[in-house]
Amino acid sequence: MKLTIGHLYPDLLNLYGDRGNIQCFRKRLEWRGIEAEVIPFLSGDKIDFSKLDIILLGGGSDREQELVCQYMKEIKHDFKSYVEDNGVVLAVCGGYQLLGKYYKTDKKMIEGLEILDIYTEWEPERLIRNIILNSPLFKTPIVGFENHGGRTYIGSHTPLGKVFFGLGNTGKSGYEGVVYKNVIATYLHGPLLPKNPQVCDYLLERALKRKYGEDIKLKALPDKLEHKANSYIVDRYSDKKYVLKETIKRYT
Amino acid sequence: MRLRSKLAVRCAKLTSTLIRKLNRGSGVTLPGYVARLIDPKILSVMSGMIREKTIVTMGTNGKTTTNSILYHALKAEGKTVIINRTGANMLNGIISAFVLATDKKGCLHADYACIEVDEIASVRVLPELKPDCALLTNISRDQLDRFGEVDITYNKIKTAVLSVPKTKLIINCDDILSYTLTRECKNSSVTYGISEQIFDDISRSEIRESIFCRSCGKKLSYDFFHYGQLGIYHCPNCGFERPAPNYTAARITFHDEVYSFDMDGIHIDSGARSPYNVYNTLSAYAALRTLGAPMDNFKSTIESFDYGNNRESIFTINGARVQLHLAKNPIGFQQKISLVLKDPKPKDVIIQINDTYQDGEDISWLWDVDFQYLANANAATITTNGTRRHDMGLRLKYEDISCGSTTDIQATVEKLTADGTKNLYVIVNYSGLYRTNHMLAALQNSAKGGSPS
Repeated sequence: MKLTIGHLYPDLLNLYGDRGNIQCFRKRLEWRGIEAEVIPFLSGDKIDFSKLDIILLGGGSDREQELVCQYMKEIKHDFKSYVEDNGVVLAVCGGYQLLGKYYKTDKKMIEGLEILDIYTEWEPERLIRNIILNSPLFKTPIVGFENHGGRTYIGSHTPLGKVFFGLGNTGKSGYEGVVYKNVIATYLHGPLLPKNPQVCDYLLERALKRKYGEDIKLKALPDKLEHKANSYIVDRYSDKKYVLKETIKRYT
Repeated sequence: MRLRSKLAVRCAKLTSTLIRKLNRGSGVTLPGYVARLIDPKILSVMSGMIREKTIVTMGTNGKTTTNSILYHALKAEGKTVIINRTGANMLNGIISAFVLATDKKGCLHADYACIEVDEIASVRVLPELKPDCALLTNISRDQLDRFGEVDITYNKIKTAVLSVPKTKLIINCDDILSYTLTRECKNSSVTYGISEQIFDDISRSEIRESIFCRSCGKKLSYDFFHYGQLGIYHCPNCGFERPAPNYTAARITFHDEVYSFDMDGIHIDSGARSPYNVYNTLSAYAALRTLGAPMDNFKSTIESFDYGNNRESIFTINGARVQLHLAKNPIGFQQKISLVLKDPKPKDVIIQINDTYQDGEDISWLWDVDFQYLANANAATITTNGTRRHDMGLRLKYEDISCGSTTDIQATVEKLTADGTKNLYVIVNYSGLYRTNHMLAALQNSAKGGSPS
């Protein structure tokens, strides 16, 4: 078996270790004896979506997103068909915003791929901190770090999870991310997957099932270290005293 | 001096004494806060008392070292110089440096001020300080949880520079971001850069900022990269290109673990063990020349200069060679990995990663470092430590590099120096530096270094 992972525009969207997600996809396939091929598509490259099993759309600064926008127009139609055909997508941070209709920054209007019925608006105060979600898709909480100026309004879409600690889509809604078909879109940036192997395996299994049929089941891997890293953050923010201390520090 | 300023200085000094008496830390920021509370213009007043020139140093990497070179070079010419202490580079820390250097009457007697300024703080510090020259080392990815995006850092520095149009800029023209800044500001500027390829490519990170032309948005073409986005670039579309630098270092050679180079006809046998210290020295030289500072003793000062300033120290513990290194962002860490790879001997490695506010709460940057090279580093053991030791462990696991972890770094150091390869590298990020340095020094003294192996 083999999966082909398309990394979209790593030359423009490569903020904060998106590579970690690629590496996690790759290794967790290899460790199970499944071949993994990663194809980086640089801005301007032609993309054949029919050859791809997983797409990673990473984060970029507002300026870089603006640049990426022009290349997006060319792939808009193909990308949408891929998603509607149950193609697997992980979109992080800027990539999440780009899946929507638009991202209105303080100066400009960035047109999105219009794959999700969501939109994003910039506010001056950035939402920056560790974040923990409880998602109905997984038993283990999802932990990560968020850092975004945009507030994303997801309308009637299903969120990825409920915010246990942190700020999420708008800082107020109490929810984070979007799940749509085989798309997971989230503000948890960079190395989201290594600390959340449950999310990685979910996406891998979806991609394998789409390609090789519904009987595919992934072998469990020894994830002791992954769980330690995950529960360190969960435990830290389950401790009310710690949360209080951090809040006081943040505002003084 | 105004009465108000005098009072501000008095109270700040009193605060400082009180903090030290109560043993509440080194007291480098609170006195500044107190002084500013009483006299909001205190920094302008203070900087106005500098007899000759004020230099500020900004940028992501190399601020502290460069500022320290400036300080020592000026001291060697018999000048009285004010400098802010390592890390005290925000508004209050800088004010403290000035007010605590005054005499009993609250007057400053200093020829020069060498001030390191944090990028975010620069917006408030520069208009008050009105420096004669501002040295910018480079702008790259660092503490993104504080700065948000590199573009935000860039805009902060730009705002700061625009507020002081008379300040001369000293700019690293190998850094497209720094060079673009001079083009967007009207300040007169002097550039420095290195035109030969000295940074080896045994370990290089693929993560680069801004490889797109800031004028036309098209992809830049590079002859080669030094590290990060630093290199010799040009835009094939609009012709924007790296200029010929006003100051450059040439004939750079690495021999017996240290660098030698020529600058402006001066040959320097430095004690620098990392190539970026060639940049730091060159930038300081460019700044001093631009200001017309006396430089009779520059060569000898540099040749005896300790580039380590606690960020790079070597200890002998239990007869083992122990090196402590600071690595706080992807570019810095990559350089440390190159350093480890240059040493062919078997070694043990400890990596400590913390996530306090000072370190940056976001440790995502670990994934921007190419750790896969450590697989070929002849490392007998790798041990992770610090609040985010498991994240560090995962980073290595996903390169198929095995490692252990510890919560007691001292015990690990003791064990590895006794039974290990006798060649230990300890790499820490910011908040662990001081304590680890202290701990290693104490171990060295208690064992009297042990018998030489």
